[in-house]
Amino acid sequence: MNLLKLVVRNLFRRKGRFVFTLLGISIGMASFVALLSLGGGMRGEITRQANALGANFIIMPEDVCPFNLIAVVTGEAITEAMHFEAFERIAEIDGIEVIPHLTRQAAVGELRSTIVGILPEETRRFREWEISEGAFFSEDSENTAIIGSNFAESRGLTTGDEITLRDEQFVIGGILAPNQSNDDVTLFLPLATAQRVFEREGYISYISARVDDMTRMEHYEAAILSVANVQVATDEQLLGSVLAILGSVNITLQLVAAVALIAAAFGIINTMMTAVYERRREIGTLRAIGGKRGAIFKIFLLESALYGFLGGIVGVAIGLSAAVFAGEFISQIGANDLLRGASPETSFSFALILSTIALSLAISIISGIYPAWRATLLTPVEAISHE
Amino acid sequence: MSRPIIRTENLEKIYGNGAAKTHALKGITIEIPRGSFSCIIGKSGHGKSTLMHLIGGLDNPTSGKVFIDETNISDLSDNKLSEIRAEKIGFVFQSFNLLQNLTASENIQTAMMFGKIPQSEHKKKADELLKLVGLSDKSNAKPSEMSGGQQQRVSIARALANNPEILLMDEPTGNLDSESEEDVLNHITQIHKTGKTIVIVTHNKDLAQKAEIIFEVIDGKLARPI
Repeated sequence: MNLLKLVVRNLFRRKGRFVFTLLGISIGMASFVALLSLGGGMRGEITRQANALGANFIIMPEDVCPFNLIAVVTGEAITEAMHFEAFERIAEIDGIEVIPHLTRQAAVGELRSTIVGILPEETRRFREWEISEGAFFSEDSENTAIIGSNFAESRGLTTGDEITLRDEQFVIGGILAPNQSNDDVTLFLPLATAQRVFEREGYISYISARVDDMTRMEHYEAAILSVANVQVATDEQLLGSVLAILGSVNITLQLVAAVALIAAAFGIINTMMTAVYERRREIGTLRAIGGKRGAIFKIFLLESALYGFLGGIVGVAIGLSAAVFAGEFISQIGANDLLRGASPETSFSFALILSTIALSLAISIISGIYPAWRATLLTPVEAISHE
Repeated sequence: MSRPIIRTENLEKIYGNGAAKTHALKGITIEIPRGSFSCIIGKSGHGKSTLMHLIGGLDNPTSGKVFIDETNISDLSDNKLSEIRAEKIGFVFQSFNLLQNLTASENIQTAMMFGKIPQSEHKKKADELLKLVGLSDKSNAKPSEMSGGQQQRVSIARALANNPEILLMDEPTGNLDSESEEDVLNHITQIHKTGKTIVIVTHNKDLAQKAEIIFEVIDGKLARPI
């Protein structure tokens, strides 16, 4: 016989209470894991998407809200638009390679989809695209669409299939090779076609720019601003802005998680205090047969710690499942494309799992200190006398 | 009879204060020889259980001294007192006080956790003690699966777990039917024959008749050692 065995027996003696207390801390830890995983997943995805743009500058209409920078990364529609002429003027600057984008959201079939109008050859070269199936746009491909690999897979499309977009028929001409960016979940049209379909002739959403000499970024920025009434963000500024916004979201998520953890801690304190009260006679008996105060303290603290350890494991399992489900759900409802195509493995690190279990253990140990201390205050006689 | 293994000097115990003050023991001085079979008798509320609690180091006297094997346990720290209880004294309670979620064997082994018996020997020693009290077949039974008499025999086995010199029993047959009472008394008698010092608190006259020494406590005072 040893203390651990005794504690394990105590833990399971009231199965209902054990389950509900365990659920309390499990749900708390699950919230913690799910919210942090979602936050971490979004951060990783944004960084990946921003890198995938392959641009040194993002050029947007001057009056666009800076928050719309996130739309460039996620592929969301940008409602404001700049004149195509601005693109033409910027394109004439030496040492800068630019491509325009017109991004819109529209239903394809019954699913909300990101549609991007592009200059086919320029964009293909700029983004270094490869075609995995079919062919790229040709000169007479006004009603041809090129789609990303996830776009094709999620909708069961292949080359030669027809789709309807705003009452117009399009043929899938080709499917892009996966490149782990928003391109995978996007439908591309020639820019002129997209402008006509969305009634934005002569307008674009934003411009991606790449420069020949990275040491002259300020020079290029000044040159762009001198020829067009636009705002310019470097790729680092773009990423910084989006991550700053995401940071606020993450803090909120972490606060919610913290509240869940505090609630779980009080759940453990309550359970352990009840256990101490109910087991006064047992405590007295253990003291009478030679148990020291330290042993009584260890018994209750170990019991509390076991709640935390088991709750942490269950919480991690629930949390990871919830994060996957939430990511899928967010993706499916189309409220946010961030997690679409995001790999869960990138969000759920082994360190997060271990640190969650450790945190759960720490919370439960701290929560167990007071009840365990109260248990040691009982004298053998008053504990034995308790009926 | 040899030198006393238990000795008290002018024990006083007062509970509460002010109007709620209760003078439970008033100057009790006794000596209990090593290897003797003693009973402390008296009516309910007269202080006999309090005396046993003080002798067993479960409670501290308001004044006076308790000596176990010439060690004044009234001055010991809580940890030292726990060690004395674990190694020198075995307790048997009226309502058995077995841990309900443990088996008979585990209840006995729990007491060994606080003694000096190596953990590897706990199971074997518990089986031997269960055999001693005639419950070899109840090793894996939980208290709820045993009769009152059987539970009390497990309780006696637990009291013997660390091979203490003294067994203190508080109304050990108080919750038993006459058949179980006889059975438990027989086991107590057998254990006494092995040289243990047995002190029983009871108001059962028949049980008291079996004792070599009887201490009667009336209204907190020692009325007689017989």
